[in-house]
Amino acid sequence: MRPFVLAAVAVVLLAPVLQAAVVNRLGLPGGFPDLAVIGVCSLAVLTRPQVGALLGFAAGLATDIAPPADHSIGRHALVLCLAGLLCGKIPRDAGVGTRTAAAALIALGATLLDAAVAVLTGERGSHLAASPGQIAWTVLGTAAVVGVLFPLLRELRRRRRSRRWYHLSRRVR
Amino acid sequence: MRKRGRRMPAVLLLGSILLIAADHWTTLDPMRTAGSAVFGPLESAVSATVRWVARPRPLEEAERENARLRAALQALGEPASGPGADAYRVLPAHVVGYGPDQTVTIDAGRGSGVGHGMTVFDGHGLIGTVIHTGPATATVRLATARASSIGARLEHSREMGVVTGVPERGLLRLSLINPHAEVKAGDLVVTLGSPSLRPVAPDVPIGTVIAVEGGAGSRTALLRPAARFASLDLVTVVLGPGPAAGGG
Repeated sequence: MRPFVLAAVAVVLLAPVLQAAVVNRLGLPGGFPDLAVIGVCSLAVLTRPQVGALLGFAAGLATDIAPPADHSIGRHALVLCLAGLLCGKIPRDAGVGTRTAAAALIALGATLLDAAVAVLTGERGSHLAASPGQIAWTVLGTAAVVGVLFPLLRELRRRRRSRRWYHLSRRVR
Repeated sequence: MRKRGRRMPAVLLLGSILLIAADHWTTLDPMRTAGSAVFGPLESAVSATVRWVARPRPLEEAERENARLRAALQALGEPASGPGADAYRVLPAHVVGYGPDQTVTIDAGRGSGVGHGMTVFDGHGLIGTVIHTGPATATVRLATARASSIGARLEHSREMGVVTGVPERGLLRLSLINPHAEVKAGDLVVTLGSPSLRPVAPDVPIGTVIAVEGGAGSRTALLRPAARFASLDLVTVVLGPGPAAGGG
């Protein structure tokens, strides 16, 4: 659990900072990937719905209050809380492909919901909420991180287990 | 405990909806200040690292120096450019964070005397005004933001108007108050300003008219901004009237 907590704290603290200071100044074609959405969706697939919701709320609130945000506080908290909750509900026994597809779908839904809430709260000026390029980067980013992270973690766990088996077998002999 | 854990997502969702409502009816500025206190210094540090890694070539260094000096000159103002414009107290700052909604973070805040509503410009013209301040950073709304609205005037005819942003095109729109005012492509638009320098310092270039909307005799015109919004880096904040203007 400890690496997960570290990763969660990193997403909450660093996603808004890297977003504002690095990603948004890159000048990517079409828009920018939303690091908070990618971070929350990729981490929440590894955990329970409650933890996913809490992570999403914290990461969302962080992007709501980190400068230079100027939208209503609570918008990303709401959207990412929901995204974390749904990602946590992806069944444990799902394969890599299913997980990746589900997480990417949830990231897509989160970005669209964010745009919808922005319209509801009367913030039409947010091109983050509406740009197709930004949606594409975010969904592809989520798919890439989940698609790589998941097999990596599984491989790591398999290796550690086999090493343990190796030691055990030596001890037995 | 188990039950409370199951209820937590619903509580969090309700909490965020309440936050949105609260921010809509009042302003949650203390939360934004807390956000600036926590994330502002991190942004400054990361941005400084990026600047250090992408160190400019000597020529760019000279260009930057040039821009800085020009900004300083502009801050001093021409002697004949109007009352209160003789000398401002100014503060150079770096743009360290870029927002999606036409806002940027600068690495100077309340600690350096930056306050709400202060004017920010670069070596070429007006960038925008300060909308939030944190301990060591401040948020600037760019003139190209839709919500931005700045008092302006045609430099030659002195006709007054309001400049708003057209973020989709990176342009500005000037709406003149006098319906019979003459405006044509190429006219320079400057800030109207006020003696207290808030909301804006007077006579800072805003942009040049590129097209008059709705044919001749129209009151609105599109402007190309004078400031270089595509490559924001070093900017100047007007802190207030300088000693030469007689103010404190």
